[in-house]
Amino acid sequence: MDKIILKNKTYKLIDFIKIPFVICPFYTLAEIINKVLQALISPIQVLIIANFIDTAIDIFNGQAEKISIYLPLSLLMLIVAYSYLNEHLINFVNLKLRMRITTIYKKAIIEKRAKLQYQHIENNDTWDLISRTCGDPVERLIEGFVNLLNISNIVIRVVSILFILMTQVLWAGVVIIAISVPLFFLSIKAGKDAYEASKEAEKHKRRASYLNNVLLGRDSVEERTLFNYTDGVSNKWYEKYEAARKIVLKVDLKYYVKMKGSSIITLFISLCIIAVLLIPLSNGRITIGMFIGLVNKTLELVHAMSWELMEVMNKLVKNKEFLRDLTAFFGLSETEGALDLPCVTKDFKFENIEFKNVYFKYPGTENYILKGLSMLLQKNLHYAFVGINGAGKTTITKLLTGMYDNFEGEILINGKSIRNYSQAELKGIFSVVHQDFAKYYITLKDNIALGDILKFDKQSIYEAISLMDLDNLIDSLPDGINTYLGKITENGVDLSGGQWQRIAIARNLYSSSLIRILDEPTAALDPVAESNIYEMFSKVSNGKSTIFITHRLGAARIADEIIVIDGGKVKEKGRHENLLEKGGVYAQMFESQRSWYQ
Amino acid sequence: MVPIDKLSNKLNKPKLGIFKILKKLFPIVFASAPILFSLCMVFAILHGASWGVITMMQQRFFDQAALLVGNQTSLNKVIISFILLGIAYLVNNVLNGADNFIRDTVENKIMGKMSLAIHKKVARLNPIDFEDTSKLDNLNKAEQGKNNSVLFTLDFTSIFTFYLPYFVFMGWYLFSFKPILAVSLALIFVPMAATQIIRSKVFAKAEDKSAPVRREYDYYESCIVGREYYKETRLLGGFAFFNKMYLESLDILQKINYKATIKTNLIELSMQIFTVIGYFGVLLMLFHALMNQEISIGVFSAVFESIGRLYAMMRYVICGGIGNMAKSVGTIENYLNFLEMDERKSKVDIKPEWGDISLESVSFSYPNFELYAVKNVSLTLKKGETIAIVGENGSGKSTLLRLITGLYLPTKGRVTVSGFDTKDIPQKTLYENTTAVFQKYQRYQMILEENITISQNNKEYEESTLDNVCEVAGINKDDSGFTDGYKTMLSREFEGVDLSGGQWQRVAIARGLFRDHDLIVLDEPTAAIDPYEETRIYNRFADISRGKSAIIVTHRLGSAKIADRIVVMKNGEIKEIGTHDELVQAGKEYTRLYTAQEQWYS
Repeated sequence: MDKIILKNKTYKLIDFIKIPFVICPFYTLAEIINKVLQALISPIQVLIIANFIDTAIDIFNGQAEKISIYLPLSLLMLIVAYSYLNEHLINFVNLKLRMRITTIYKKAIIEKRAKLQYQHIENNDTWDLISRTCGDPVERLIEGFVNLLNISNIVIRVVSILFILMTQVLWAGVVIIAISVPLFFLSIKAGKDAYEASKEAEKHKRRASYLNNVLLGRDSVEERTLFNYTDGVSNKWYEKYEAARKIVLKVDLKYYVKMKGSSIITLFISLCIIAVLLIPLSNGRITIGMFIGLVNKTLELVHAMSWELMEVMNKLVKNKEFLRDLTAFFGLSETEGALDLPCVTKDFKFENIEFKNVYFKYPGTENYILKGLSMLLQKNLHYAFVGINGAGKTTITKLLTGMYDNFEGEILINGKSIRNYSQAELKGIFSVVHQDFAKYYITLKDNIALGDILKFDKQSIYEAISLMDLDNLIDSLPDGINTYLGKITENGVDLSGGQWQRIAIARNLYSSSLIRILDEPTAALDPVAESNIYEMFSKVSNGKSTIFITHRLGAARIADEIIVIDGGKVKEKGRHENLLEKGGVYAQMFESQRSWYQ
Repeated sequence: MVPIDKLSNKLNKPKLGIFKILKKLFPIVFASAPILFSLCMVFAILHGASWGVITMMQQRFFDQAALLVGNQTSLNKVIISFILLGIAYLVNNVLNGADNFIRDTVENKIMGKMSLAIHKKVARLNPIDFEDTSKLDNLNKAEQGKNNSVLFTLDFTSIFTFYLPYFVFMGWYLFSFKPILAVSLALIFVPMAATQIIRSKVFAKAEDKSAPVRREYDYYESCIVGREYYKETRLLGGFAFFNKMYLESLDILQKINYKATIKTNLIELSMQIFTVIGYFGVLLMLFHALMNQEISIGVFSAVFESIGRLYAMMRYVICGGIGNMAKSVGTIENYLNFLEMDERKSKVDIKPEWGDISLESVSFSYPNFELYAVKNVSLTLKKGETIAIVGENGSGKSTLLRLITGLYLPTKGRVTVSGFDTKDIPQKTLYENTTAVFQKYQRYQMILEENITISQNNKEYEESTLDNVCEVAGINKDDSGFTDGYKTMLSREFEGVDLSGGQWQRVAIARGLFRDHDLIVLDEPTAAIDPYEETRIYNRFADISRGKSAIIVTHRLGSAKIADRIVVMKNGEIKEIGTHDELVQAGKEYTRLYTAQEQWYS
């Protein structure tokens, strides 16, 4: 079933019905039948009311027995009971349908999201698309489904009333059809116009909403207070707010004029029909009951063909927008094997990694981040990548871990192109502590055990804990290593930034990966903690290769080889002492930092 | 380590009654746009009344039409009643459009005006309130609460201006034919109101149960697909692990919702059956009255027709209007609490000459914390002096900074500027001579120029002023990264460019320098800038800050040397004060920190 929903295809309006139908045919059908029935009740109601009134008048005039009212009266009651109860009965169906769709659809969507190529996560446009589409997909799917049903409901109602009218006065029906076709297109156009204009207003609104955050947010309180910029920014906010409001106002005005315009046209036609109906009424060709029923329904048309029609058409434009998003979302490229578990790496012996003239730019951007990068990383050695911000250090991590593979040149692991390694293999080979490492709000034990999802070895977990000096923390936690961290569960315990950092590093230590990458994990640490971590890492990393990315040069000196990256290329490499002797970029940077300590 | 407050999981129970809320809200909302609001009310009354007139005109027309069948009336009379019916519908349509349009207009207009008031109020608050979790909730929800307040007030007003006139009219109209009709019709609607009350109770209960589960559910989702977790979860192969928990919590959520919905659906259904039975009673009564000639055919059909409309409107008021109001009461209270938050008060119009800043036995604790973040600190920053504050994470450096600038007021002791207590000086005057580069500097999604000049947005300047501060901060507007010079929008979201962390920090430094000042405060100003540049910036900074007071907070002890004095903090207290050489000689805390860093460079 997943396959039917998860298709990469162009979604069309019909899919609003197809998708629920595939997931849950019975309940979907029940909803459809109910909506059609609801629409057909409308003309039947005219006949029943007419029959009831006519019979009542006959009884009143002594032309019929009192007993003859029972049939029309019970029919009337039946129809009242149906129209007042059916909505509550269908609620049960609706609930079931919604639940089934939620279960299946949410599962499909999260899988698709988790499989995406990483570039879609970093790219703001696709990220917006993802957030938009996955915000509340079930609700929007059902909205689309219900709206389609409502449209057909209106059409059936209007057509069936017309049918009855035509049986009484043929030309009246023809006139209404002639007038309702253009009105129908007017509604569609009005819906579209309103949508286009609201998009225009959206630009101003987004700007206003951003400025509002600056004026109210907690993050900006210090600068806001000290710089006293509220008045100035508030004025700008008001400009944007009013600009958006005035656009909306104009659209609203047009919308109401169009809608009420078509109301009044329909009203006028309806009144003409009623006036004409007076003739057959006066010469007895139609009964008073039929007359009353027809008048009420004709006037109801006014409402159906303006308010209701405009509303569903307005929604239809939004529904279509959702389908476009859905199409684009399911069309986003995936990474093969993205959801796989890491491979066991026992048989794999790491020898070296080689970058050969690698060029890389982020998809959708112009500037190359790596420009002909070449280097060789050998097993069992400790490397440090240093360089200024934006030199491309972190980008290298993303290439090695398979987040991006659209580079030019070659990256070889043990002589085999990195593109020929599966995601599972790369997950087994590399582990990373990112600068923005994840704080998982699960138990402390699981936080560390996630480092190697294939094994569960309590002994090694405790080892990682003591290496990171976390023993004291664990003793102070209510449930030891089984304590939930973070604010998600009710008895969760929140930790300080430094403690989280240690856990992230412990997770990396627990991993069985062959190559560890530490991407500036000490940026927020104070000097003493910083130096302790460096020392600890040089102690435990024997037997494994480590890549240490930093812009603080002091840390780099413990590396077996320092690789200075500048302008997307390797500028210098060698041991600390050699680089100092050489007197190049590294020496210059090191000197400038050292000068503060002399 | 803070255990999470269990109470916070529970829903906020409203403390104020609806009428008390309204008493406070109405004047605020009304005053924001009195003319439009009154106009809105007038149209609502006319619109409500027009529905009643329609029913009346319909009845008259049907009566005439029925008479026409028996030739008991003249065609003229029929036509007149027909034209009246047509006019009633026409007027109703116009009023309906006008009423809705005006209401939309009023809504947005008032929301805008009330936002301006919120901005002003926030600017007058004490910055420390943003650290107080009990107040933060009010602050965060004030905006939403404001919008809900407007809707609430308008909805409530429309009950009296639109619905009530219509209901009263219909009541009187029915009463005039047959009193019992009016009464029994009213009774039909009792089950609907009862359902609504039960329904909201059932869902409030279900919400209590599902709120914590939903939090977990949302969280597990973000563990898989959230931007901050995506690459790490993928590399760890954690999808299956989190997906299992995600689907489990989804399942629990669905079950809670299923139970509550089935329950309310059943209640609604049974109540609705009562309504239908009541309807039958009314129908029989109408039929009976018709037979007894108490009412005419016209009345019968007009009343029959209007029951549906009455029901729909009643339902709209009870389920839609009042239901929404009940939902929004929580945030409305947040908004009202926000309006009543204490503002920082000061003795009027002290404007001290710039001079020394003195801390006298200053202690400070954050709201809801017992421990002092700063303990018994005494320190004087002389006019024109540069002080560096160093110490480990959490030693109270940034807090001390906020006390010196007057952003925070001390819990104990006092801080004076030229002898005047910072709590007596009005906020605006207090900060007039001060500028800062904060640790959490802002990345304004504005153009480069605004990003710099926002520190003093009423200052008149020439482009050379911008050039100067940019030179010190190391920004070159002609750099290819700035596609439009000073007018470059610094935000991808608003069709501009993205800056790196280091570049943003330079912008923050330029911003700090742009503001006219006698005191400049730098809190870790170069954390994201590479070492080579850092040195240059510090040297340039030392040049331009001559003659001005300056405070630098830093992790990197090497850079503290440019200060006249270094203050070493630990656990909120001042451990040592002195010049670099003095402190190194003393061989205490400073020396310990210094050697730990220095060893990497020796």
